[in-house]
Amino acid sequence: MTTLTEPVLETTQPGRRQRASTAARRASAVLLGGLVLFAAVGPLLLADPAAQALDRYLEAPSLTEPLGRDEYGRSVLARLAHATRLSLVLAGLCVATALVVGTAAGILAAWRGSWIDTVLRSVSEVFVAMPALLVVLLVAATADGGVWALYVGIALAQWVEYFRMVRARAAIVLGSPAVEAARLLDLGWWHVVRRHLWPDLRPLLTTLASLGMVTSILAMSTLGFVKVGLKPPRAELGLMVTESFPYYDVAPWLSLAPVAVLFLLTVCFLGLRRTETA
Amino acid sequence: MNATALTIDRVRVRHHGALLVDVADIAVAAGRPLTIIGESGSGKSLLAHAVMGTTPAELEVTGALRLGARSFDLGDRRGRRPMWGRELALLPQEPATALDPTMRVRSQVAEGVPGFGWRSRGAGERADAALGHLGLSGAGRAYPHQLSGGMAQRVAFAATTVGGARVLIVDEPTKGLDPVALEQLADLLAEHCAGGGALLTITHDLRLARRLGGDVLVMRDASVVERGAVADVLNAPAHDYTRRLVGAEPSRWQLPWMRVSAPEPEGRPLVTAAGLSKAYGDQALFEDLSLTIRAGERWAVSGPSGVGKTTLGNVLLGLVRPDGGVVEHAPALRHGRIQKLYQDPAASFPPRVRLGVAVADVLARHQVPAERLRSLLAAVGLPEGLLERLPSQVSGGELQRLAIVRAMLPAPALVVADEATSRLDLVTQETTTDCLMTELADRDCALLWVTHDRDLAGAVADQLLDLGAWAQGRSSPTACCSSTK
Repeated sequence: MTTLTEPVLETTQPGRRQRASTAARRASAVLLGGLVLFAAVGPLLLADPAAQALDRYLEAPSLTEPLGRDEYGRSVLARLAHATRLSLVLAGLCVATALVVGTAAGILAAWRGSWIDTVLRSVSEVFVAMPALLVVLLVAATADGGVWALYVGIALAQWVEYFRMVRARAAIVLGSPAVEAARLLDLGWWHVVRRHLWPDLRPLLTTLASLGMVTSILAMSTLGFVKVGLKPPRAELGLMVTESFPYYDVAPWLSLAPVAVLFLLTVCFLGLRRTETA
Repeated sequence: MNATALTIDRVRVRHHGALLVDVADIAVAAGRPLTIIGESGSGKSLLAHAVMGTTPAELEVTGALRLGARSFDLGDRRGRRPMWGRELALLPQEPATALDPTMRVRSQVAEGVPGFGWRSRGAGERADAALGHLGLSGAGRAYPHQLSGGMAQRVAFAATTVGGARVLIVDEPTKGLDPVALEQLADLLAEHCAGGGALLTITHDLRLARRLGGDVLVMRDASVVERGAVADVLNAPAHDYTRRLVGAEPSRWQLPWMRVSAPEPEGRPLVTAAGLSKAYGDQALFEDLSLTIRAGERWAVSGPSGVGKTTLGNVLLGLVRPDGGVVEHAPALRHGRIQKLYQDPAASFPPRVRLGVAVADVLARHQVPAERLRSLLAAVGLPEGLLERLPSQVSGGELQRLAIVRAMLPAPALVVADEATSRLDLVTQETTTDCLMTELADRDCALLWVTHDRDLAGAVADQLLDLGAWAQGRSSPTACCSSTK
């Protein structure tokens, strides 16, 4: 009958919190766009990040070199652009792989059930039991610091999260009367994925993916920082922080620049999330 | 005895200038029930909440009411709070959701006793007495989810009346109740009245209005269109709308698709079920049940709630596996030629996709020309603009008609309607059923209607399978298959 909440819901104006959250998302998107542009265009325009000029050792920032030069006289700005590009590309690859694998496995487990579900769930529980960084460390250690090892390690550590969330959510959707009706209408699996599962999972996956970008970028730089990840002379944010630490008192810009980029990337990806789980 | 307990001089409820309720001069006398009937959205429930003072703050309420000798300004929501439970009480819609799911039944009822204190013994005893009086003495330690719909309704009734309120307002009490539970509830309400209480009932169920007697108000579009004694108004309605409402009761239907007698069983069998049995835990729903549904036949499965009607429907659809026995579908039912209509149509469409997109997938899969969709929409009286909306933005009646259109697109040979109209008010139920049955009659499609409403079963079906009678008597299931004519 007349539900009392109906007229109330219809006219709810976007509240101040919601407007603030939209503004925060827009600001994050603009800032992130700037960082992506820097990572995409910077390496093409700037000098070779590996070119050494030992006579310009620890040069202070100037108009031609806005971030100065490091202990081998390499341009910090050029190195930063390369490092940011590496972080973004590698994190994007890891997240995309984890998302596709985890989502597909989650839907498969929820759909088929029985032994497929049991096997996939057991495998995922093994990964849950191990700390994510340990998984990355194990893979990175066996493959001796290559980019590929890092990629495989991080993707392996992350797919579980997508798998578990998607499996739980998809089981609810697949058990709903709407999907039952679709089956009776003989609409096929593609309709169920496209019209039922995907619209329901999309907000969940975008939130997980933006969090996943943060975790991947931080995992990479953490490994670089403890010297297990990528090896010098490659420009990588974590490595740049470690390498510059000995010169902190004479050239603070050296370590502050990569830390600032890490901080901005994290804030932007976290700010992109929607607060309401639509 | 006939002292006026509650007088509503005038109530107006507005929302952003739109008038939702505008009613004057309603007097509820002690011992004489007053029932307000009308269609969904006519403002009946809002009226009840305006009287209680429980309307949402966004709604602007003006007017005045008198409780005995005291008068209250309706605009002041707080003024009536001291009266709640002591003088004025409301039995809410959907008691199963109105009860606290985390509290045992006895403590919920005890909270309503005047002078209730934590662990006060007197309150607990009063609660036990109230529950015992309603035949629920065993249920005191149960949680609400362990109760049937009828039992939850009676617990809510105990919690509402334990405070001794003389004026009782009952909002839409029959939603989802089977006839047995409806009888029990009507007895309780009548008893409240006979004991000198005043009763204001809001319902769209004319059977309850007749059962309670007293006076009736007919509401439409925020105002009262007719009032008088129940017998006068419902037997000789003066207003056009009341006439439509009374005529919309299934027992009074006279529609072109209704059959005078059941046709001879000559069609080819579509669903053949033999020796079916199904149990949930220890509770056996049905055992050794056999039936054959032939092309063009119209079946109804009836019985009180919890007897396994819906489960039987799903077993026959092939959605639920029976514990024993076999269900055979004829090849004519393959590829979407067996369809189901749901009690809640909103749940049967993908919730985040526009209706048009969901229906377009059906057109593409079954290679139905768009022309056919357009003619079907026109036949059930739906505008094409409806397809632009999401399921949550369409009313229940319209969405059920769209569900009928969708079910018709694959040209089905059998449609299973699971309580397909039980959430709709009478007039909407009639139009919706008419749409479905006209479509079915046009293409000689078979029907299995699962319902607890015997009048509706009689109107739409030729053969009736009464699961309730079978479960009670444990008689041979075939004896419960009878002609409805």
